[in-house]
Amino acid sequence: MSYYDIDAILTDAEKIPCTFQIDVPDLGYLDNQPGHTLKSGSRVALPIWLAEMLAIANTGAVDMDDPSQSSKSFITFDLPPALGNDVVQALKADPRSVPLRDQSAHFYALATHMMELSEEPELSAVLRKTFVSRAAEIALHARKVGGGGSSYHGRDGGGAGGKGKGKATKDDNASNLGVGGAGEDFLRGLDEWERKLFRSAHDGTKASKEWMENVKKR
Amino acid sequence: MPMYGDLGNKLVQHAKRTQNLSHLPPYQTELVRAVAREIRDLDKDVASLLEPFQGSFDPSAEQATACTLLVNHLSMRRNKRCLLAYHRIRTDKLEELVWNGADILDLAGQTTGGPKGVTEGNEGGGTTSSLSPQEEDYFRQFGDLLALYKGQWTDIDLTGSLEPPRDLFIDVRVLKDAGEIQTEYGAINLTKNSQFYVRQGDVERLIVQGYLQKLG
Repeated sequence: MSYYDIDAILTDAEKIPCTFQIDVPDLGYLDNQPGHTLKSGSRVALPIWLAEMLAIANTGAVDMDDPSQSSKSFITFDLPPALGNDVVQALKADPRSVPLRDQSAHFYALATHMMELSEEPELSAVLRKTFVSRAAEIALHARKVGGGGSSYHGRDGGGAGGKGKGKATKDDNASNLGVGGAGEDFLRGLDEWERKLFRSAHDGTKASKEWMENVKKR
Repeated sequence: MPMYGDLGNKLVQHAKRTQNLSHLPPYQTELVRAVAREIRDLDKDVASLLEPFQGSFDPSAEQATACTLLVNHLSMRRNKRCLLAYHRIRTDKLEELVWNGADILDLAGQTTGGPKGVTEGNEGGGTTSSLSPQEEDYFRQFGDLLALYKGQWTDIDLTGSLEPPRDLFIDVRVLKDAGEIQTEYGAINLTKNSQFYVRQGDVERLIVQGYLQKLG
């Protein structure tokens, strides 16, 4: 994950539920009440880039009168709904039937980030299983699209010499042809990471097919 | 309710879209300015928050203020990251375009066409030129740098096509006046709509730039 990684930056914009542990007069706007004091105990959804440091940062308070106030964080946070119990249960039942994209466009990145902040051994196990079974399905679809759908293949063949970046979006549109019904729903539910996987698998199949055809010609 | 960092996020979403395009969409002058303004406003807030303490701020005694300062600081840092990422995506794209032999005039004057786009690019922002004036500079200077680098090898063209040519000589039609070029076989004057049988290596760049069209 690089500082300049667009997807990492967008992942950091995902909001997670936080609870403030102290009164802050100037931050009312975070809870839609500018000008008011943000009371201790207020629950606010904050983007990760803000919540992470607020949760880690130590207030450094050493309160002589009330030792319980000493060195606690500004906020505590919970797992976002995208990683909530409902979703985890659904993933346990059948990973392939959950449209991850509806939970978060950066589902895995969000989950990884959250697990860096708090230990979630069960979540980690569920997600690993989820990815493995979905990856197999993705590979299957990617191959089907490359091999089948001859009308789409012929159309795109002409543009194969074009620029690499432009092709990616074209493939994205085209990929939904050739796969019907359930497959289409599944592919629409892929998160960003899975989409990349799909694209690589698809491009790889296509490239090797093109290469094979060229070999035959010569 | 808009929050600090929202504008920066918009900018990054632009960058995300740019990643998947083959051309460079217009520079978001207004958005970039707004994000920079947000950083300056936050910085002013921080300064005024700290002012009463005269440089002797104790975070553990003033937790609420410390928290506000941290939020402001994080917002500034976030905006900075968004700004840098946005510009980096664009400069990466510009470098790619230079390597592909794109012409700055084609980039700059996509709507007005011709060299006008360059001069009008200053005030109009996104409407006349898709590049900011700074980006145009970057593009030009990177082009110079690449030319300097390429100059070390006279018998190989680093930006040439990777496809091995099938014929040494090809037929081309001139789409735009390109002036006179020097070849091993003497000078050729490339005027619009004329046709020539030339060595491919001599005109490859002109084909990429769209002056010539390869026939057959």
